[in-house]
Parts: sequence; C-alpha cells; structure tokens
Amino acid sequence: MSEAILRKPAVLASAQGGKKPRPDGDRSALARSVIACLCVALIATILFSLAFGASDASVVSVVKSLIAGSDITDNALSVRDRIIIYDIRLPRVILGTLIGASLAVSGAVMQGLFRNPLADPGIVGVSAGAGLGAVSVIVLGGTFLAPVIAIFGLYALPLAAFFGALIFTLILYRVATRRGQTSIATMLLAGIALGAMAAAYIGVLVYVADDKQLRDLTFWGLGSLAGANWVKIAASGPLIALALIISPFLARGLNGLALGEASASHLGIPVQRFKRIAIVTVAAATGASVAVSGGIGFVGVVVPHLLRLVIGPDHRYLLPAAALLGASLLLIADAVSRTIVAPSELPIGIVTAAVGAPFFLWILLRRRGILDL
Amino acid sequence: MIRVTNVSVSLGRSRIVEDISFDAEAGAFTVIVGPNGSGKTTLMRALSGDLPYDGTISINGAPINRLKLWQMATMRAILPQSTSLSFPFTVREIVKLGMTSGRSGASRHSMDTLPDEALERVDLDGFGGRFYQELSGGEQQRVQLARVLCQVWQPVLDGQPRFLFLDEPVSSLDIKHQLIIMQIARDFADRGGGVIAILHDLNLTSMFADRIVVMHGGRADSVGTPMEVLTDDRILRVYECALKVGGLPGKSVPFVLPQSAVL
Repeated sequence: MSEAILRKPAVLASAQGGKKPRPDGDRSALARSVIACLCVALIATILFSLAFGASDASVVSVVKSLIAGSDITDNALSVRDRIIIYDIRLPRVILGTLIGASLAVSGAVMQGLFRNPLADPGIVGVSAGAGLGAVSVIVLGGTFLAPVIAIFGLYALPLAAFFGALIFTLILYRVATRRGQTSIATMLLAGIALGAMAAAYIGVLVYVADDKQLRDLTFWGLGSLAGANWVKIAASGPLIALALIISPFLARGLNGLALGEASASHLGIPVQRFKRIAIVTVAAATGASVAVSGGIGFVGVVVPHLLRLVIGPDHRYLLPAAALLGASLLLIADAVSRTIVAPSELPIGIVTAAVGAPFFLWILLRRRGILDL
Repeated sequence: MIRVTNVSVSLGRSRIVEDISFDAEAGAFTVIVGPNGSGKTTLMRALSGDLPYDGTISINGAPINRLKLWQMATMRAILPQSTSLSFPFTVREIVKLGMTSGRSGASRHSMDTLPDEALERVDLDGFGGRFYQELSGGEQQRVQLARVLCQVWQPVLDGQPRFLFLDEPVSSLDIKHQLIIMQIARDFADRGGGVIAILHDLNLTSMFADRIVVMHGGRADSVGTPMEVLTDDRILRVYECALKVGGLPGKSVPFVLPQSAVL
C-alpha cells in the first residue's frame, strides 16, 4: 500500500547517482589485487635483501643457489658468499619477515579489538610489558628464574616476553575499556603509565645486572635484527608463526566487533571467547617479536593505517595484507639500517621510529576532532 | 512467538524491570512505549540476551538463555539506538556484516545483490559506496536497519517465524523516513515475522502497532491494542501529562499527523 512513499522520485535517484565515489562500495576485488601485488613485492624484497649488502652477490646467483640447494657447488656463488648468505643474511631475512608480519598483524588485531586505530602494542605499553618479561629472564636467568630456563631452555625468553605482554594487555583492557567501549584518551594514558611502570622495573633489573648481562641488555634493547641466527628463529619463530596462522580466523570477529560488542554478539559472534583468543594472539606475536628484536616501534600503527586508506578496514583482507606489507617494510628498513652508516649499522628501531613517529603525529592531526575529549 | 513471563531485570543493585509478562506473536507488530527511564531499553536488552534476568524469555518455545549466540542470530536481529564506527567502512561493507550469520534466507543467486536490495528498502539506493562516517545520524540509522534486515531477510525461515527488535528506530528520522521505516516493520510482520519496537511517537504507534505494551516505573502498566491502551487517564497516569486523545488544537495552530499520509 505504500508505493507512494517507498518509491523515490526518479529525478532524485539519478542526481544522487552522479556524485558517488565508487558505484557499490565493494572493495573486495581491489583488496585481492592489492594482496597479490604485496605478495610479489615481498618476494622481490626478500631476494633483494639476500643479495644486497657489504658483499654484493647478484640476485640471479642467489636465486640459482636457493633453487639448487646447498649441496651443489657450481660457480654461481663463492664459498664466502655462500656463508654470508646462508648463515648471516638468510636467518636475518627470515627473522625480519616474521617480525615485520607479526608487528603489523598484532597492531591490526589490537586496533580491531580496541575499536581504535591508535592502539598499537608499542604505543600502549604492551611491548614494554614484553620487554620487562624478556629483561627479567636475561638478568634473573642465573638466579631466581634458573628453573624456568632449565625447563624451557631456548623458549624461556620468548615465553617470558609473551607473558609480560599478556599481563600488560589484560591490565590495559581492564583499565581502558568499559562495556566494550574504549576511551582513546584513557587507553593512551594507561599506555604511558604501563610504559613507565615497565621502564621502572627494567631499571631496577639493570641496576642489579652484572657486566655481561648489561651487554646483552644493551644489545637487545636497541631494537635490531643484527643478531639474527637460526637459534633465534627456532626460539621465536613457532610462537610468531602460530599467531600469524590464527590471525585470519579472527577476521570475522573483528569485523563484527567494529559495530560494538552488543551488535557483534547479536550477529552470533561469541564475543567474550573471541576477545580472549585475540588478546592471547596479540601477546604471542608481540612477545615473541620483542624477545628477539627488542623494541621496533610504529610498524603496527603505520602499516594497518596505510592499508585501511587503500583497501578499507575489512579484516579478512586487512590482516593478510598487513602481514605482507609489514614484512616488506621491515626488510626495507633493515636494508636502510645496514647501509646508511656503513660499515657500521644503525639499530632498526631507530629507523622505524624516525619514519613512524611523524606518521603517528600525522594520524593524530587528521583525527584531532575525535581526540578532543 | 516471543513469550516474556514474569521477567525482572536488575542493573547493579537497582531493579529496573519488575515482573513483566507479555507475548509478542509472529505476524504482529508489538510496540513498547513509556516515559524516559521506565525500563524499555533495559527490557529490550534482556530480550536480546545482553543482560541476565529472572523469569523466562522464550523465542519460538525455546528459552533464550539455553540458545547459543549463533542460533539466536538466525532467529532475531536487533537494531540498536545508534552505532558509531572507528574505521572507515563503506555503507555496503556495513550492510554486508548483516549476512555474517549466513542465514539471511535469501536465495543463493541473490546473495550478491542483497545489500543493494536492503539499501533500496530503506531508501538509500546508491549509497553503497559512501563512507558510513560521513552520513547524517538518520542515514546511519537507516544503514543499520538495512544491515539488520539482511540478517533476517526472510521473515519466516524453515517454517519458523523470525523477529526484528527495533530500539527507537525512527527517533532521528524525518517524517518521510519515519513512515518508510514503520512500513518496513509492518510489512515484516504481515509476511509472518514478528516485530518488537520501542517508540516514543504515540501517533505512529497507534497507526502501525497491533499491540502496545505500556511501561511505567519498570512495570507493564497495560498490554493491549491501541484502541484499548491509549486513553486519557492512562496517558495522564503514565506520562503525567493531561492530554486528550483525539483532541484537536485551536484553529490557528497547524498540526501534522502521520495518519494523514497518503499510503
């Protein structure tokens, strides 16, 4: 009976049709092609990183050698280059790929969980919690925490960082979130407090550390991939890989959560259980990354933000794209850090902060209206 | 049918809803009215499964606290009062979230066009590519309705009626869109589904509702048809306003009733 009101006048409809930016708002095709491009870009970056450095091997010879395997001794690579590539560059590239992907994905998951584009493990104190866990093991590993090291061996450091990150995430969530709504201001302030708290405890631990431990700490704290080796990959790789494998399964829940907790549960998403899984995933990815590479900041906030501008916030595409772009960007940052002050090298954390911090300020500037509370 | 039996809800220590019973039949449009703070939204949250309650709430015979979230998601969809987003979703992406439960009931080949159809229903065709955050409050509300409609596109699925819960669906809308949204709800009920809505507009309520639940101080003051419920003394008692049902203003004051719309 309501044809008269339900039908919009034809003139009106065509006038609106003229100024819409995209005809139907479906960005999934675009997102898929962006992901394909990022795959190609990551492969190119990996090969480039393997070939590029103080001792230059050609990309072609590196590819030949990788395909042929290590038992072929043709002339493509000299023995010296072979050692450089397999024992130094390859672990470094693998670790850089894993950590770049893990930092970007944990940023994206955390932002979805807090419904807040500024939530990043580095900024809101979760990395500091991971750092506290890692430092505790480095300093107290010989005394208090000796049993932990005896049981977990190699895995003690990443596990301690994981628990540090987990506890800090839980505290943050508890403080900053009420009825599923996160206050941006409260979250950032809580992050400052958590960071200060971790810094204070780390300071105490540094105070009691002996000379060798201090060297370990300094090296670790700079945020660097320089110490990459197969042992570190074995220690942190599994935890990072696990988090990366779980993350695609979080996409549906994170999309629903964008509407708020109540609406997400009305869509049939088990919100409480989902949040627990997401928090553990973020803590695992952050903890394992911080354990091997120290604090590498801003990857988790820059990468998802850039991608949202292009492919939108649908986490089914955002999470894999973030993993790929995060890995590529970290490898590029590592290449910069290796060469910019050659023959010495800059800690990669300095490179990411130098680029990422201004970017973060730019995001704040764009969102100023929202932040004026 | 949604059956509410002796339901009480407490928030913290204070009891907000006290011993309410009513049935919301499939095929009927049930409207909850009442002054601010009378417990309407709290009752709606209990019906939605968001709050613990005493008493029994059942949907098609099954107590809702024994249903899984995904089961309930196939039986009813809920339009909240307002929804703000922190990420730049397009309108189409939001509407598609309504299909998350996977049981919209639309035929397989029309799944791709379902968001467009839903947007056309709420008078937003062509808005799919716009950013949600750039729309006005009323437009955002209609986008959410399109999403909710996608969740229960067919009012009856597998022989079971489905339900729409609408919390103040027309509060931020102009008169044309108020009528369109009420008509969508009416149509959902006419096709065999059930609708429960919270409304403040007594004229729209009287025009579209089959049954009215009047809430007052957390209790159901009365349940009945518009004819039975909307009386002078009840409005005086519940709203503390001496009004005359059907009373007309003086000659020099124009008044516009939704009932006068040409439908």
